[in-house]
Amino acid sequence: MLTDREILSTLEMLKNENLDVRTVTLGINLLDCAGSDLNHVRRRIAERVMGLAGKLVPVCERVGQKYGIPVVNKRIAVSPIAVVGAALSPADLVEIARTLDAAAREVHVDFIGGFSALVEKGLARGDRSLIAAIPEALSATERVCASVNVASTRAGINMDAVLLLGQTIRRAAELTAGRDGAACTKLCIFANIPEDIPFMAGAYLGIGEADAVINVGVSGPGVVKKAIDRALGIRPNLDLGSLSELIKKTAYKVTRVGELIGREVAEQLGIAFGVVDLSLAPTPHVGDSVGEIFQSLGLLAIGVPGTTAALALLNDAVKKGGAFASSRVGGLSGAFIPVSEDLNISEAARNGHLCLEKLEAITSVCSVGLDMVAIPGDTSPETISAIIADEMAIGVINNKTTAARLIPVPGKAAGEHAYFGGLMGQSTILPVNNARGDNPFIRRGGFIPAPIHSLKN
Amino acid sequence: MLARPGQTGAEFQTRKTKHETHSTSLHFGWTTTPRGLRGTEMNKAILSILGRDRPGIVAAVSRALFQQNCNIENVSQMMLQTEFAGIFIVSMPPGTSAEDLHHGICSRLAPLGLHVHTKPCESGEDHCTAGPCEPFVITTRGPDRKGLVADVSEVIARHGVNITHLQAVFKGGDDPGDNIMIYEVDVPTVVDQQALARDLRTQAEALKLEINIQHRNIFETLHRI
Repeated sequence: MLTDREILSTLEMLKNENLDVRTVTLGINLLDCAGSDLNHVRRRIAERVMGLAGKLVPVCERVGQKYGIPVVNKRIAVSPIAVVGAALSPADLVEIARTLDAAAREVHVDFIGGFSALVEKGLARGDRSLIAAIPEALSATERVCASVNVASTRAGINMDAVLLLGQTIRRAAELTAGRDGAACTKLCIFANIPEDIPFMAGAYLGIGEADAVINVGVSGPGVVKKAIDRALGIRPNLDLGSLSELIKKTAYKVTRVGELIGREVAEQLGIAFGVVDLSLAPTPHVGDSVGEIFQSLGLLAIGVPGTTAALALLNDAVKKGGAFASSRVGGLSGAFIPVSEDLNISEAARNGHLCLEKLEAITSVCSVGLDMVAIPGDTSPETISAIIADEMAIGVINNKTTAARLIPVPGKAAGEHAYFGGLMGQSTILPVNNARGDNPFIRRGGFIPAPIHSLKN
Repeated sequence: MLARPGQTGAEFQTRKTKHETHSTSLHFGWTTTPRGLRGTEMNKAILSILGRDRPGIVAAVSRALFQQNCNIENVSQMMLQTEFAGIFIVSMPPGTSAEDLHHGICSRLAPLGLHVHTKPCESGEDHCTAGPCEPFVITTRGPDRKGLVADVSEVIARHGVNITHLQAVFKGGDDPGDNIMIYEVDVPTVVDQQALARDLRTQAEALKLEINIQHRNIFETLHRI
């Protein structure tokens, strides 16, 4: 017998705290679709994606309905296209992106990730073609997401790739100038990219993965915030250790929901279940914000002194609660701080509480990194590369994933407003130090070697 | 009507043990023992005890049963507002009838102001677990009114779905969150879940209720290790 408290608190989480499963992402291996004949590759990719993902959306809807938990997004992650299309030209790879986009539309998923390359140790022919294709691929398609891993703790930082990507980001922004550079919202540059991220824009299916896999991304910033508010309403003087314990328990609940839904979807599709990504992923809605959690913990806004400590506490508690709840944890698993996608964080940026440098600092204690940060449109490619390099260094040295999703908004300056729409949200454009200045350090290229603690064997 | 508007903290619960009682008599009723149940193969009785709650009721009931040489097999007890309600399934010594037990127990509990209903447990097919089922929880929130439970449970019954546990928490007033019904049900796998959900939603809409129909696992997953 269930207690009324168990039932009522579940309903409360669903109705008022935005408890949901943020994404069920189907990983599809395309490695055997590789070839040098564009039309042949396109046909095989389309057949594979539509064959495996045809039932993804209806099954997610049915399972969500059975448990009363909405599966907000259904997505697809494919093998890195730089590998699948290694023999193809940049123009051909743009066509591959169109094929992926059409297949995604056909099976009603909102994003398909994997227009990706892994270049931390060097740029191969397919990698160069893919990076060259990114600006057009992202501006000509609606649902395709791209990622490039330019650094790892074992390999160091490929500064040639970082330099190249500064130019790529500027070009992608310019091609979508009428939409505030929206193509860049679908491009993540990574250090230590996990092979099983279910969240976009970084999702791709790792080379070491099976034919198909279901990975799940949970959400729950609203649930965590409300739990903190409730506890502090009863005991206003709760200390941080107690709050950490509370967040841990809440993360446990949120993760269990994700695992339950993910396993059932996987079973119904006849596909292996992969991982639960424990990330707290916000949306641009009030009550579904990571930024609001900082205020509940007692900070004026995210970005003021105390933010890094608060985020460290939050991220750690989420991981501990989630790890206990799931037998398969993976992906990014931590708190996201995507500026434009989180209404509260976006507000903090507008009010001057949050600057680029503070954002960079807090990425040392959370998952991901400089995420959905709008910068002035005239920021030079070199400076964009330099911001990426700084972010990659944090990941490489701290043996963690970091990423940069920067949007130089064409024709707009710091303090102006950028609007990307939908889940991508909106944000005030943050000022960038030395935005147009010279940067010979970045132009040197080459590799920043792997840190000494990479020598583990 | 479950509670008058403005009444606070009103609630009721029903819970089925293996065999449901269909008593309308709450006051010293007893049911004739079916043939063949005296003595050997099965000699069990089910008792419901009602009375104003106070310390010592369970002690008095169990003492009385002990003195009748009965063994308690299942007990379910709860408090609804100020009232005690307990259901006991007991095995009786060979040769004892439910009628005998009823008179013995009543003589001890009536002076304490407790009302007893006794009936023999029946053998036969178990209708509740006849086929494979999936457990779901139906919750409704909305304004209190007469016939609420009757209207919703009629839809549930029409689909051949068994209610295993029913709780209501009615605080009165206009806040839908203060008037909640929770039906735990076993839905046979042969039942069309979509049709059940559709009919329930239609009924809920007519009653101005907000309704949720969820597999029980979600509640256990969220709250239990």
